[in-house]
Amino acid sequence: MLKNYFKIAIAVLRRRKFFTFISLFGISFTLTILMVLTAFIDKVGNSKYPDKNRDRSLYIVQLEERGEKNGYTSRGPSSYYFLNKYAGSLKTPVKVGISSMFNFSSAYVNDKKIAINFKYTNADYWDIAEYDFLEGKPFSKVQVDQAAKVAVISEDTRTAYFGANQHALGKYVEVDNIRYKVVGVVKNVPITMFTFYGDMYLPYTLSKEDYRSKALGGSYTAVLMAASASDVPKMAAEYATAVSKIKVESKDYDKLYSFADPYFTGFVRIVLGRGSDSGITTFYLGLFIFVVLFLMLPAINLVNVNITRIMERSSEIGVRKAFGASSKTLVYQFVVENIILTLLGGVIGIGFSLLAIAFVNASNVIPNLELTLNYLVLLYSLVVCLFFGLLSGVYPAWRMSRLNVVTALKAR
Amino acid sequence: MLKHLFKLIWNKKRQNFLLMTEILVSFMVIFAVFSLLVNYYMNYRKPMGFEYDRVWSVEYRPGVSFKTKDSLVVFYDNLRNKLNGMPEIEGITFVSDNSPFTANTRQSNVDYKKQHARSVNWYDADSGYPNTMKVKVLEGRWFGKQDDAATVKPVVINQQLRNELFGAGKALGERIGEEQRFRVVGVVNDIKDKGDFSSPGNGMYQRLDTSNLGWVNKLLVRVSAKADPAFESRLYRAMSNSFKNSNIDINHLTAKLEDINKQTLIPMIILLIVAGFLIINVALGLFGVLWYNINSRRSEIGLRRAIGATGKNVSAQLVTESVILATISLVIGSFFAAQFPLLNVFDLQSGVYVTAILLSVVFIYLLILACSLYPGKQAAAIYPAIALHEE
Repeated sequence: MLKNYFKIAIAVLRRRKFFTFISLFGISFTLTILMVLTAFIDKVGNSKYPDKNRDRSLYIVQLEERGEKNGYTSRGPSSYYFLNKYAGSLKTPVKVGISSMFNFSSAYVNDKKIAINFKYTNADYWDIAEYDFLEGKPFSKVQVDQAAKVAVISEDTRTAYFGANQHALGKYVEVDNIRYKVVGVVKNVPITMFTFYGDMYLPYTLSKEDYRSKALGGSYTAVLMAASASDVPKMAAEYATAVSKIKVESKDYDKLYSFADPYFTGFVRIVLGRGSDSGITTFYLGLFIFVVLFLMLPAINLVNVNITRIMERSSEIGVRKAFGASSKTLVYQFVVENIILTLLGGVIGIGFSLLAIAFVNASNVIPNLELTLNYLVLLYSLVVCLFFGLLSGVYPAWRMSRLNVVTALKAR
Repeated sequence: MLKHLFKLIWNKKRQNFLLMTEILVSFMVIFAVFSLLVNYYMNYRKPMGFEYDRVWSVEYRPGVSFKTKDSLVVFYDNLRNKLNGMPEIEGITFVSDNSPFTANTRQSNVDYKKQHARSVNWYDADSGYPNTMKVKVLEGRWFGKQDDAATVKPVVINQQLRNELFGAGKALGERIGEEQRFRVVGVVNDIKDKGDFSSPGNGMYQRLDTSNLGWVNKLLVRVSAKADPAFESRLYRAMSNSFKNSNIDINHLTAKLEDINKQTLIPMIILLIVAGFLIINVALGLFGVLWYNINSRRSEIGLRRAIGATGKNVSAQLVTESVILATISLVIGSFFAAQFPLLNVFDLQSGVYVTAILLSVVFIYLLILACSLYPGKQAAAIYPAIALHEE
């Protein structure tokens, strides 16, 4: 029986090629846009390289000081002193990685400028972020304490400075008139991974700004890693307690906000965070409204086209009823038809999405950002398509199937 | 005639309601896209206001701190002399972090008597600025040595801020800002310092002197046509010799302009692609529905032909029906769209919205015409005898 429905469905789809094309185009195109969008969000918010331990890590990315009296606010990364003192003394984390945001500098090779974004880190940083090393290994705690002039560089920097596929281990890179010995080369990280991105990683003790300065604001962020994922809430609470005990000793500010957030919340906090509100609710609400608005047009279109298709087939329904088909059988048939249409659209949509993603990756809009398909969202989107397909295709068919045979036949 | 058409539409209200919703939503989408495009285009047409093609920005971070004011003055005088001594350099100026084509902004409000100017960009610059950037001083003068002894801080404002605060009145010599801290000594032309597609905002320039030069991390250098990569690396070495403990970064403003334009262009292109596909989607859908409607009205059309309507009459009727449908949606849509300039939602000029509404209305009508002309023509080709015979 199912096989019969399948045959009928294919025959119907082929009979009205134009309408089939419109439906398929709508479904597959909408899917493509959603897939590319989610692939992007997924990559930015959920990428697993290089922090593979993300499920048991928390991130301190922002420090906000507020003066309620005069309306002053200052927002930005923290100082090394602050993070080392308050995050470094916590009991729950097994490791606390502290690193600066990337800074711009440049090196000149044969009068050609190479832009280098460098980043200062402590030794624990390398235990939390598991970079893929092409050569060598990270610098050690001893090297950090001795302020040794050593550097871990990215693959891109190695190519730019030494040439493609040249070994760099043990060679020297000169930046701002200082020579650093290369101890390791890591795989590139896209700039969207803002807490881990850099072209050159140096021990924080080499920092030209004074890392002993007791200011609270600075240029550093921290990653706290717990022993297991179940310790994460405890770790967040411990940090919150530690921060609440800090006395603000400044004439301009009287309140201080700093949070240990999951990765994506931290990301959103930088853009939307105000005081104790991380802005994640605002973010999801905005995204939801956008997606609903975006889906509305194709959905109305799909409903419109589907209703037209069904009206056109009223005589067919009349004939089938006249020969004894029950309403249930008819509805069943239309369900099958719609599922086939949606799946076809889905398959084409996946094809388009793969093409679009390949195109985005090849165009290198954001260097080193490799997008991939998110299958969970694909499933959800197909369900949404199916829902609208059924709403628009099956409901009118069901109503029509309950018509009198005579009326249905006459409607032609 | 019109009354009759309304009756026809009303008779099929359920199906027409869906069509109208679709047109309405398309209109809102198109309106949003056109608002953006019109805004960018209007900004793009405005002149840049300064010459950037041979200007480099040199950053040094962290800056240098000095124990005494004298050592600071000596250090910066030496640096200026050293740089001005290079034959490739035509002009230099130290500037604040919000230099042209960077993402940094520094804004606040500025008051003059009852006038209140919002979001005024604060720039810091020294006496070399007009020569380096090639901005025009329209009234008064730029900063100079004579300001050393000034008791009230001198500022130069841009033309837009001048118009907002003083209108047609006198600007030079007036005191502005909180507690009348500043005195206007000059007016310069507006600059689009956030790229080709940005609008030049209000701007106010403060003089860099011994009190705030220590905070500065950046200078702009105008180079001659002879400056080549070898000179760039020489400049780099000269800078890193002066700033022993800083990281030096040299950028060409042309490259920075490209970057900052990209930040506007890439989202715009993505938006255009998405909107374009949505419209194709809608156009195909509308076409299909209109086409089907006409096919299912063959007997009605046949009858009209039989009692004397010409083919032109028939197609005109069908096209007018669609246009009426569109008009109803557009009236509702324009009502919503008109709220944007009335409530001043996104701080754009109301001219942008009005142009966008007009363009979107024209666009939707063209779309409807394109989608209904062919079905209308097909209807005109129906022979009454055949159509009625089928029945």
